[in-house]
Amino acid sequence: MQESQHGVELIRVSREYTRGGEGVKVFDDVDLSVKPGAFCAMMGPSGSGKSTLLNLVGGLDRPDSGDVIVGDTLLSELGESDLAEWRSENVGFVFQGFNLVPVLTAYENVELPLLLTGLSKAERKEHALHALELVGMGDRAKHRPGQLSGGQEQRVAIARAIASDPGVILADEPTGDLDFESACQVLDLLGRLHTELGKTILMVTHDPRAAERAERVIHLDKGRINESPAAPDDGFREVKPKEGEGA
Amino acid sequence: MVPLKLIWRNLLRHKLRVLLTAGSLTVAFFLLCVLQALVVSLDQGVKNASKKRLVVQSAVSLFVNLPISYQGKIETVEGVDETMKMTWFGGYYREPANMFAQFAIDADRMETIYSNVELIEGSWDEFKNTRMSCLVGKETANKYGWSVGDRVPIVGMIYPRLDGSEWQFDIAGIYDAGAEASIDDLTMYFHWDYLEEAMEAGATTGADGIGVYSVLLSDGYSQAGVGAEIDSLFENGPQRVQSTPEGEFNAQFVSMVGNVPFFVGTIGMGVLIAILLATLNTMLMSGREQTRDVGVLKALGFDGSAAFWLLLSQSLILCGFGAGTGIFLALGIEGPLQAVLGSNFPGLQINREVLTPAIILAICVALFAGLAPALRARRLTVIEALREEV
Repeated sequence: MQESQHGVELIRVSREYTRGGEGVKVFDDVDLSVKPGAFCAMMGPSGSGKSTLLNLVGGLDRPDSGDVIVGDTLLSELGESDLAEWRSENVGFVFQGFNLVPVLTAYENVELPLLLTGLSKAERKEHALHALELVGMGDRAKHRPGQLSGGQEQRVAIARAIASDPGVILADEPTGDLDFESACQVLDLLGRLHTELGKTILMVTHDPRAAERAERVIHLDKGRINESPAAPDDGFREVKPKEGEGA
Repeated sequence: MVPLKLIWRNLLRHKLRVLLTAGSLTVAFFLLCVLQALVVSLDQGVKNASKKRLVVQSAVSLFVNLPISYQGKIETVEGVDETMKMTWFGGYYREPANMFAQFAIDADRMETIYSNVELIEGSWDEFKNTRMSCLVGKETANKYGWSVGDRVPIVGMIYPRLDGSEWQFDIAGIYDAGAEASIDDLTMYFHWDYLEEAMEAGATTGADGIGVYSVLLSDGYSQAGVGAEIDSLFENGPQRVQSTPEGEFNAQFVSMVGNVPFFVGTIGMGVLIAILLATLNTMLMSGREQTRDVGVLKALGFDGSAAFWLLLSQSLILCGFGAGTGIFLALGIEGPLQAVLGSNFPGLQINREVLTPAIILAICVALFAGLAPALRARRLTVIEALREEV
């Protein structure tokens, strides 16, 4: 296994949204550090900032202040197009609603991120089919999302996330829309990505059973980050609590 | 870079909707081409008129004839190279429904005055030297199956023969007006002398004098300058004249058909606005449906311009296909259209003057309809796009 070089670091990050004309502080001066190759679950009530945290790490959102560092890249230094390019090379997304493009086949969906690489058509095909094989969807390559079950769609989405071999996988409630069996398959897959391919995985989930698959569980609540008391000692650096809050 | 298959498949996401929109574009652009061809046809006699010719008519009205003696006086004006009588004959072939234009002219001068007219059958000499001979435009010859040597009976309405018989003309040539914008391919030209002789012999009645004089200018003389000279020559009568550049003279006939260009233009504008809104509606719906796809593409690393082109390309393809089909249909129907409307709209054709604005309009419709959703797609953040309820 070759471990990902992509650790994640949030340094004094603050983020506030405006809703209904009022400012809602999601994070206030938060620090977080995730080692390369870690499998980290994030739990917390709705609105606690789980998805916002994923968006910040994935470069889909920017903090009001503070720094987000993924691997050795300080995201705030990147412009929009550089950030898009960085995302294509370093981050794979898995969404709760799968978000496959409905007019494309499973194979074409997986090929999408590869179009941004310099790979030839034959190489793209090889990579995309390999990714589909890896998630057990090789025989469904020509099926469109509408012809697949939810679990199968999510496996294709995972294949798309890993097709370009990114260092970090960001999964936003990947089992949220799945039945128990499909959820287990997806979690098994994410576990394999972590153990066999050494990907750094940040997974948002409401499901404690899903969180159990992770090495480390982070609880978010009201802009604060707390380690799970049951989290194993996986060598992650300690989360630095906010001053005066004793996270 | 946007995958082409993504553009294509999104375009065909709702086949019926796209088909209906493309069909509307086809009908609209077919109509626009035909309407524009009608306007161009009306206009071409004005725009392409010779800068070297004047038309001298009565200052009172086009329907008042000028004295025959004026021709010699006009020829004394400096800058006048040649003159030719032209008198409206007003007859029909066998049935009143077979009406077309006939002019009594100076047969020996027509070749000089209208130097671009080409005889595709017969000869100028035969026409000049035979008193009963005539030249017939190719369209009229085709319509009635006439050829050189045929004797054609024409019933005169302005100059009826008093014995109730028909005028007889021998076809000496069939002409193609070619680049001569002031002449169509429908008219008959015959000897003014033939008409004069009949009048002198008391075989016919009708107004004395000449309808108009066509005046060819020498090189280096302006229409305005020579025209003013001619007008001043007859300022004190017996009958004042009005010298008009040929283009302006032709324009009088366009204005005589009333507001046809305005009417046709208004219909065209209405059609255009309707199709513009229909296409915009289709593209806005498509844009809305593809919001999530745009979010996914951006999350995967495609930039805003990829999202922009994803939507705009669909609009360009849709309009290109719909409008293109309409334009090709108009090109295909050009022949039948000429057959049906050619007598009222001489020179009617789907040419560059028709095609260029149609293509420009198609691009404008595509841009207008595609820009709004394309700009929205470019502006949307991943988070906004993925959160949007479709």
